[in-house]
Amino acid sequence: MTDQQRRFVSTNRRVREDRRFVAGAGRYVADLDMPGTLHVALVASTAPAARILGIDASEALAMEGVVDVLTGEELSAAVTPLMNGLDTPLVRRFPLAVGQIRYAGEWVAAVVAESRALAEDAAEKVRVRTEALPFVIDAEAALEPDATPVHPEHGSNLLLDRTFDWGPVAEDFAAAEERLSLRVTWGRNSTVPIETFGVIARWNPWEEMLDVWASIQMPKYADQIARALKLPGNAVRVHYDVDVGGSYGVKRGIKHTVLVAYLARKLGRPVRLIEDRLENMRAGDAQGPERIFDIDVAFDRDGTVRSMKMRALDNAGAYAGRAPFQLGKPIGAIVGPYRIGSVQYRAMSVTTNKAVQEAVRGFGQAPTNYAIETMMDRVAAHLGIDRLELRRRNLIRAEEFPYTIPSGSTYDSGDYHTVIDKVLAHADYEALKAERDRLRAEGLCAGIGIAACLEPSGGNSSFEPLLNEKNRTSTWMEGSRVTIDALGFVTVAIHTTSSGQGHETLAATVVGEELGIDPDRIRVTRPDSLSSLPGNSPVGSRMAIMLGGAAARAARNLKRQLVAIGAHAMGIDPDTASYEAGTITAPDGRSIGWDELVDIGHRRFHDLPSGTNPGLTASFIQQVPTGVALPKDGKVQMYPCYSFEFHLVLMAFDPVLAKPEIRRYVIGHDCGTVINPHIVRGMTLGGIAHGIGAALLEEFTYDEGGQLMTQSFLDYLMPSSHEVPSVEIVHHCTPSPLTEFGQKGSGESGYLGAPAAISGAVQDALSPWGVTVDKLPLRMSTISDTIADAETAA
Amino acid sequence: MHMDISGSEEIEASRQRLWEGLNDPDVLTKCIPGCRKMTETAPDAYDVELELKVAAVGGSFNGTVALTHKRPPEYCRITVSGEGSLGTGTGTAEFTIVETGPETCRLDYSGEGEIGGLVAGVGQRILKSVAKHLTKQFFKDLRKHFDETRQDAGAS
Repeated sequence: MTDQQRRFVSTNRRVREDRRFVAGAGRYVADLDMPGTLHVALVASTAPAARILGIDASEALAMEGVVDVLTGEELSAAVTPLMNGLDTPLVRRFPLAVGQIRYAGEWVAAVVAESRALAEDAAEKVRVRTEALPFVIDAEAALEPDATPVHPEHGSNLLLDRTFDWGPVAEDFAAAEERLSLRVTWGRNSTVPIETFGVIARWNPWEEMLDVWASIQMPKYADQIARALKLPGNAVRVHYDVDVGGSYGVKRGIKHTVLVAYLARKLGRPVRLIEDRLENMRAGDAQGPERIFDIDVAFDRDGTVRSMKMRALDNAGAYAGRAPFQLGKPIGAIVGPYRIGSVQYRAMSVTTNKAVQEAVRGFGQAPTNYAIETMMDRVAAHLGIDRLELRRRNLIRAEEFPYTIPSGSTYDSGDYHTVIDKVLAHADYEALKAERDRLRAEGLCAGIGIAACLEPSGGNSSFEPLLNEKNRTSTWMEGSRVTIDALGFVTVAIHTTSSGQGHETLAATVVGEELGIDPDRIRVTRPDSLSSLPGNSPVGSRMAIMLGGAAARAARNLKRQLVAIGAHAMGIDPDTASYEAGTITAPDGRSIGWDELVDIGHRRFHDLPSGTNPGLTASFIQQVPTGVALPKDGKVQMYPCYSFEFHLVLMAFDPVLAKPEIRRYVIGHDCGTVINPHIVRGMTLGGIAHGIGAALLEEFTYDEGGQLMTQSFLDYLMPSSHEVPSVEIVHHCTPSPLTEFGQKGSGESGYLGAPAAISGAVQDALSPWGVTVDKLPLRMSTISDTIADAETAA
Repeated sequence: MHMDISGSEEIEASRQRLWEGLNDPDVLTKCIPGCRKMTETAPDAYDVELELKVAAVGGSFNGTVALTHKRPPEYCRITVSGEGSLGTGTGTAEFTIVETGPETCRLDYSGEGEIGGLVAGVGQRILKSVAKHLTKQFFKDLRKHFDETRQDAGAS
């Protein structure tokens, strides 16, 4: 199918969800009004590590409206530990601390009361007697042999230490003309949605059913709840028709959910927990990767990068969860968009006494891209080659696709050189350089940053079996169902919550495209989890590919039924019939319209072709394209599709104040066929804003006493309209050969390259002083101190 | 987070009277900002209950205070530790009273503490100025106490 033949895909159509959001008519978990609901407030640990000697809740329990105070001891006797991604059975995690506190802010007890205010007041009266224990905050300190293990039963702080050798690394290093080493550090930031996590659980003892409404973005959520509570899978019903106010990975409140679900069963009333900002920041277990990269790179004097050794040391926080897998996903794009022939990759994850790490947009790819791009800048500087020229020499060329990288993943398609050329032409690169030099002549620091990055998309979970041999997962499917009702109207069912990705627009657009029906006339529904087809939720930049694929193919199956019915009615071979906008036409010009087809399908079994079921419905469960095999010899096909983005940034700042200002931001973006241009544009702009936060502002900072210093938006700095410039997007389309319409993912676009580009721009601005910056976020104070030190030394 | 505090204050009271005041739970209850109650549990040991507001955060703090290394009427070490909805705190301070006249003296104090929990995380950027403010408040009330007792003494 070519662009010209498409009626709805890639066209300028409104995003249908926007109407209710803009009108303030979204339905969020906090909007649900359930009679008799009880409310939870948490008692938070003040120490980063301590033994719990006793919890005295008598004063709290005596207060008005207080129904219960739950401790970890009681809860852990009733539920199973929360899921671990790795095979680390002795790193046990429960919603409330059991016996030992492992980070400041960790939940020690839950107070249940008739209102949230009463619960909060009572939480202040719960007395926790503790004995302080040694703690460790820094990832490298946690690795020391004498470091205190966060989980003594586990024996050390090491959760994962795996070295992969792909290709002749030693030979390539020996043969290379040059090599250099660098260290870069990615600070602990996250996505911090305005809507904190919230969940309501209700137990119906007569149906033996647990109903859950949550602000959730999580694969296998219902399964995990059932397993933790030791309930049958069909006794947990998650309601997906709840709007989620932002997530990008972090809305995974499994500990919150198990806690309220247990309380709902115990107390026989609906129980609701909505985090306040402090609970969210310090103990929502939603902080992102924090990573130290040590890189050795081998290259020739002509700029050819031959080989790379990368060690990534990640600070997972106090419990394992799925965080260590964020070291695994980037393996699928470990060489970025470059032809690097061999790679050694050592992935290390350690526990520390910080809040638990959770998935964040890109699942570890943004930090890795930052490391790769900084490496490319350093190689260029070392050789005295222009940064762009160095990249051009190493980029995979359009004619080389499909291209298999050393770690075993095959990139589907791309045209990196063309995207870069389009951006340079749009921005007038020479004029941009002249502008930088003019700013410098005025006495400002000015620099240009560039980043060429990949967004792997269509998420499977190949990193799971790769990093945990007990895990045999090789599918990460997504299902959709399309139905034409007896009145002839079309309904698409999607089986997940959405947190701003526009899945309703996506599903309606692709089904409208297949059936030739105006998408605005198609209804999109979200059945609950027990009425849903199997799926894995919107993670790994996958839904355009996976839900788009499932809905389109279900619609195509339905179209096939309609054609069979129409052909049978006209007495012709279905292969000779044509379908256009709901009408079946025979080669001789006769036709049967939509109403007649619907009438036959729903009412006239006697007119159906033999072997056809009555009723017009079709389902399709989409397997991830390419995802069929388990890893072999440390190699695996990670995500199937690879979007490309090229950032070009001009920054300027005063050498003393050093408040970075973005003067120009241009991004070239190629995510294959765009299903809805507004959604992709929104993702890209938001992703760049998110990347500005990661590069310059946002960090969960712990002091030497193990206390979180950035618990509110006073200290955890989010980019605002003051920091986010207007962004120029240069569009390019290299369709993926693996997907229904040629689409690739774009849910992480912008974020995957912006930190690298901004860091590069600051670095370029500092080049007159010959100093380097190598840690994100780049604070104003760091930049001005770096300049001042250089001036003093000179 | 770690915190240091130190300073000097001139007080219009004799060394002996200042010493007695600083060892009198009733005087301290009146002068320590937010102090609700101070109960002697043993010689030179007290339980204290505070209600304080730091930045946007208000709450309670329950702790123990111990006075040690006493050399009346000039030197004393004070140890505080406790916790509450505001967070946790431990600290030690020492003070020396220097006679500067028959009815005046100077109190030199210095101490350090470790603060954890809510106040550390939320109020850290203003914690030092809050501590200074609370100290100022303490001495203001202490002076007021001596002014009042002096007037009472004059009136009788």
